[in-house]
Amino acid sequence: MTKIWGKRVFSSSLLDSRFLFLAATVVGVLLTLSIFAFMVMLGLPLFSVHSLTLLLTQAWAPDQGLYGVFPFICGTCAIVSLSLLIAFPLSLGNAILIHLLAPRRLARFLHQVVKMMTGVPTVIYGFVGIFFLVPLVREWFSRGSGMCILSAALLLALLISPTMILVFLESFSAIPATHLRALEALGGTRRQKLLHVILPGARTGIITGLLLALGRALGDTMIALMVAGNATAQPESLLDSVRTLTAHIALVMAADFDSIEFKTIFACGIILYLWTAVLTLSLRCLHFNYAKSSHDQSL
Amino acid sequence: MDSARSRLQVDRNHRKTVGEVFVENPRLTCRDIDVFYGEKQAIKNVSLDIAGNEVIAMIGPSGCGKSTFLRCLNRMNDTIDSCRVSGNIVLDDEDINQPGVDVVLLRAKVGMVFQKPNPFPKSIRENVAYGPRIHGLAADRNQLDEIVESSLQKAGLWDEVKDRLDDSGTSLSGGQQQRLCIARSIAVSPEVILMDEPCSALDPIATAKIEGLIDELRENFTIIIVTHSMQQASRVSQRTAFFHLGDLIEVGSTRQLFTNPKHQLTEDYITGRFG
Ligand SMILES: Nc1ncnc2c1ncn2[C@@H]1O[C@H](COP(=O)(O)OP(=O)(O)OP(=O)(O)O)[C@@H](O)[C@H]1O
Ligand SMILES: [Mg+2]
Repeated sequence: MTKIWGKRVFSSSLLDSRFLFLAATVVGVLLTLSIFAFMVMLGLPLFSVHSLTLLLTQAWAPDQGLYGVFPFICGTCAIVSLSLLIAFPLSLGNAILIHLLAPRRLARFLHQVVKMMTGVPTVIYGFVGIFFLVPLVREWFSRGSGMCILSAALLLALLISPTMILVFLESFSAIPATHLRALEALGGTRRQKLLHVILPGARTGIITGLLLALGRALGDTMIALMVAGNATAQPESLLDSVRTLTAHIALVMAADFDSIEFKTIFACGIILYLWTAVLTLSLRCLHFNYAKSSHDQSL
Repeated sequence: MDSARSRLQVDRNHRKTVGEVFVENPRLTCRDIDVFYGEKQAIKNVSLDIAGNEVIAMIGPSGCGKSTFLRCLNRMNDTIDSCRVSGNIVLDDEDINQPGVDVVLLRAKVGMVFQKPNPFPKSIRENVAYGPRIHGLAADRNQLDEIVESSLQKAGLWDEVKDRLDDSGTSLSGGQQQRLCIARSIAVSPEVILMDEPCSALDPIATAKIEGLIDELRENFTIIIVTHSMQQASRVSQRTAFFHLGDLIEVGSTRQLFTNPKHQLTEDYITGRFG
């Protein structure tokens, strides 16, 4: 009697928890979708005056009736890709150094430093940027104010690296020790260990770290506001000041609620949203296809 | 039990290996091997010859140093930070325990099979081809395919996998995986193969297959096998070495050691009085 009762309690609590998980998932998905719907709704009035193509391709000159965010898209694109270009190889190298190459003590020290860096507030990085990096860039190139794509990308690279390194390290240490032993016993060198076991085995983790960094770089507002210069003109070189989509949103927030300027921030939001979604999905697909065909790959 | 313990105390003071430590024309010569993990000594002054084309079994209670001794022979102890190995281990007129020795070449000469089958998460073909590839043993694709086929054949796996060479190595059964690992290690044509409890994760049928295989491999390789099963030792080996607390207590022909042990500890162990 009690046994049956006990069983029932067990299964119903199992049911409950399943329901809870389902509910959490549904709420999460709904929230994400409704944020998107909300942005589209609020952006609609703008699209009725201004065609989407114009918005995406025109320059930003509200006094001439031009509300295009194209320069900001370029600015974002330049800063994000440059910072990833710098940060990804550095982070991967750093993770390999900590995991495989450095002597035990140095490795532990570096690991701690990286962990600490993830906790530093973005605005601190911004300060360092303004008072240290920006003057340096100005001196080096003796052109412009130093508040430019290059400065922002360098700083952003510093900001996103620690997270990436930690994710990489996590995925390196998840490699089964038995595979490493097998390779050692076959006479594999450290290099072969890295290229043939660690990196292929950590593929998923590497992609995840890259995606996290990409999201962080794309979404960052503080660095862009503080050191990218916020110029609305179309950038032409890495030393030009730019405004990113995120910085644009933050700057225009203060403007009149009914103005067209204000409505453009919803367009920016939509672009950022879609951008992240498309990049994430395509990287995941790429990875999935690669994983499927990796059987034929030689070790 | 208690009497075994007390005998053990007495024996600690004079532990010289009894039996036939030396052989004529040894393939592998070990002299005065000491192994320390930090302060703790795991192998105590062990000397042992291993002949070519023999299967020698290492038995002894858990923690007596069988795996540690085995790992000296392909320098796998190098990968353990706290581990220090001293003594001479001569293979082909070269002392492989010297710092200058190229461990990559050594490990091509001394292969190893582990307790748990550990194929790479790659195709069956790639698992076997990997060793020859990194050691540059094949001039072209055809030659590599030949090595893969002959290794799988020697490991008694060819007929079971010849139609699915591109399937993942991990899709095989445990026993097949272990034979794949054996094929992987013989693909680089080693002289010696070390096996650390190669059947302990396998069922009796898979175990019987591997044991049969070991007997066939003896023709071309010297095999050193650690086992917890005395039946297995007597089925596959010609000589047996009994370790106890880091000492090599007794070595002898397998038949003699199991039927007529010379040392009291050996007798206690094989009759199941401790261990
Ligand atoms: N990596 C290590 N670090 C420190 N001590 C170790 C290490 N590996 C083994 N030892 C110690 O060395 C001794 C011998 O261990 P070893 O693994 O060689 O025993 P074994 O005979 O193979 O035992 P088993 O039959 O259980 O596999 C043990 O006391 C063990 O605690
Ligand atoms: Mg062992």
